[in-house]
Amino acid sequence: MTALADDTLISVRGLKKHFPIQKGWLQRVVGHVKAVDDVSFDIKRGETFGLVGESGSGKSTVARLILRAYTLTAGEILFRQPDGSNLDISTLREAELRPIREQMQMIFQDPYSSLNPRMTLLDLIGEPLIIHGRGSQGEIRDRVQELLTLVGLRPEYVSRYPHAFSGGQRQRIGIARALALNPSFIAADEAVSALDVSVAAQNINLLQDLQEKFGLTYLFITHDLSMVEHISNRIGVMYVGRLVEVAPTEALFAKPLHPYTEALLSAVPEPDPRARHARKRVALKGEIADPANAPSGCAFHPRCAYATDRCKAEVPELRDMGQGRKVRCHHADGLSLTGVIPA
Amino acid sequence: MAGETLPPMPPERLIELNDVAVHFSLREGLVRAVNGVSYHVNKGEVLGVVGESGSGKSVTVRSIMRLQPKTALDAGGAIRFRLPDGSVTELNRLPRDGREIRSIRGRHIGMVFQEPMTALSPVHSIGTQIARTYQLHTGASKEAARNRAIDLLARVQMPRPREMVDVYPHQLSGGMRQRAMIALALTCEPSLLIADEPTTALDVTTEAQILDLLRSLQAEFGMAIIFITHNFGVVADIADRVAVMYLGRVAETGTVDQIFYHPKHPYTRALLQSIPRLGQKRVHRLKTIPGMVPDPFNIPAGCVFHPRCEHAVAGRCDVAEPASRTFDGGQIARCHLADSLPELVS
Repeated sequence: MTALADDTLISVRGLKKHFPIQKGWLQRVVGHVKAVDDVSFDIKRGETFGLVGESGSGKSTVARLILRAYTLTAGEILFRQPDGSNLDISTLREAELRPIREQMQMIFQDPYSSLNPRMTLLDLIGEPLIIHGRGSQGEIRDRVQELLTLVGLRPEYVSRYPHAFSGGQRQRIGIARALALNPSFIAADEAVSALDVSVAAQNINLLQDLQEKFGLTYLFITHDLSMVEHISNRIGVMYVGRLVEVAPTEALFAKPLHPYTEALLSAVPEPDPRARHARKRVALKGEIADPANAPSGCAFHPRCAYATDRCKAEVPELRDMGQGRKVRCHHADGLSLTGVIPA
Repeated sequence: MAGETLPPMPPERLIELNDVAVHFSLREGLVRAVNGVSYHVNKGEVLGVVGESGSGKSVTVRSIMRLQPKTALDAGGAIRFRLPDGSVTELNRLPRDGREIRSIRGRHIGMVFQEPMTALSPVHSIGTQIARTYQLHTGASKEAARNRAIDLLARVQMPRPREMVDVYPHQLSGGMRQRAMIALALTCEPSLLIADEPTTALDVTTEAQILDLLRSLQAEFGMAIIFITHNFGVVADIADRVAVMYLGRVAETGTVDQIFYHPKHPYTRALLQSIPRLGQKRVHRLKTIPGMVPDPFNIPAGCVFHPRCEHAVAGRCDVAEPASRTFDGGQIARCHLADSLPELVS
């Protein structure tokens, strides 16, 4: 275990999660879905790290692995403790994880299925407080009311049920629940994707306010590139279980280094009718590869305009390109890719 | 409003909705899901319909197809559609499962839904679904219908159409399923295609492929499209004109340039400002619309948007519902203050 840089909160190294594919009544293992394959990145304290990629790229699995909702196949997760020491939480047992869980929380995508409809807001938001033995009934009630105010809901709502709230408000209930134990790290998995634009904007602003107020660190997972550009300090791009590029936000959007990032950026429909013809779209052939049967070499090679024989044979390493940028492409040095031209 | 009193449709007009209202009678009260919607689509034109959930955009197009839920009440207005022979029918007067609407639905008007997995039959191959539709409307032979299915799958750029014609929807990816759905909707070369959030469930790269496909098919078949979405980026990409809906009403309609660069309704302006844009210099906060969409049982008096509007004038906006006003270039907005709003700084 190597040391963490001073400003790093979480460091993920060589993370792997392979789900077995079972067949027949004997449940014989006939293959593996390599949902996450050799993913490494650091999240700095107080920053928002955005993770983007198409469905099936493994971005949600990464978040769930960091929170230890899944067991890892391989890899290390170093997590800085409040006393400054760092701890590899990838091998901890459930009982040992309990104090760690207070420090890391999750906000889910679907505010309809992630809140128990039979529990009041007091039960929902108070549950983590009860589990971790934080105070008497009266104290918990006070804390829940304080949390509701914090996320912009009225404290009188404590005895209401989730059905009385709109999607955006439910998302705030989920945020209040995640904040209950004063975590240092929150993974937000598509936290605003299901919301209407005006409501999504309100919740994004709320998340930013809370980050400032409590010095929170976010892992922000989304497929919405304009949203991730708005909220993130640094961004990781995933493709079929692998991280293909990591870079500071401005640099990634101005000049991507991986051909997949370029294609992804050019596919975003811009809310500007005059840009319709001005912009050149990098059309991607075919579809995202199946992680159970990923192409040889670089998984992106069948869709890549720059692919050579080397890309078919050899898996590229995630290489350090300086200025905080890393890329997993054999030809990154020789390519000159197009980013987003500022409006 | 009775259909007879409406002026005749201009010859280029394909479909026109005048003051359409659809209500639902629920135990809790009457929901006016669509409350006086007017818009039109000309032949070969793409109309983008945008609005937040609950604005009535889907209910409106479902009433064009006469596919509303059984509990829906047709509460007024007229939907006039021009058939290829030039005659005009009033769709809203046709019985919902009568012969006439069934001869129009699927033949002259095709529809693509958001979730192809629920819209396609899981127990028939995609080829069978296309072939049966073709046989039903044209009386073609089984052989000819199968060839038609293969041809359509090729036109929606499905790889290996001769093999794909025999696969079932569950064997396809989301993007491929949506292509199958589009092929099905285009079976009889309809003059109007209604697309209800067809790319919302797809990834950006697949979305870009489907938008390109729809554009090229539109050029090839020359059909008009009503494209429903909540994504302004998609609208800017595909639409010629735009209708912005809020709480069962059309707040504003105009060409895409009018809507994006000279919006006249405060709701349109607020929506455009609340979306983050690629490559925009990082702003610290997104502009939001205060409050939320009111619940359908408590529709505000006066202009329905006034409680959330930053320009609302007490004694006017909360009292009288604004009428639709037409501006230069055919832009229509429902706002008392539409001509006195400050210029947008973007």
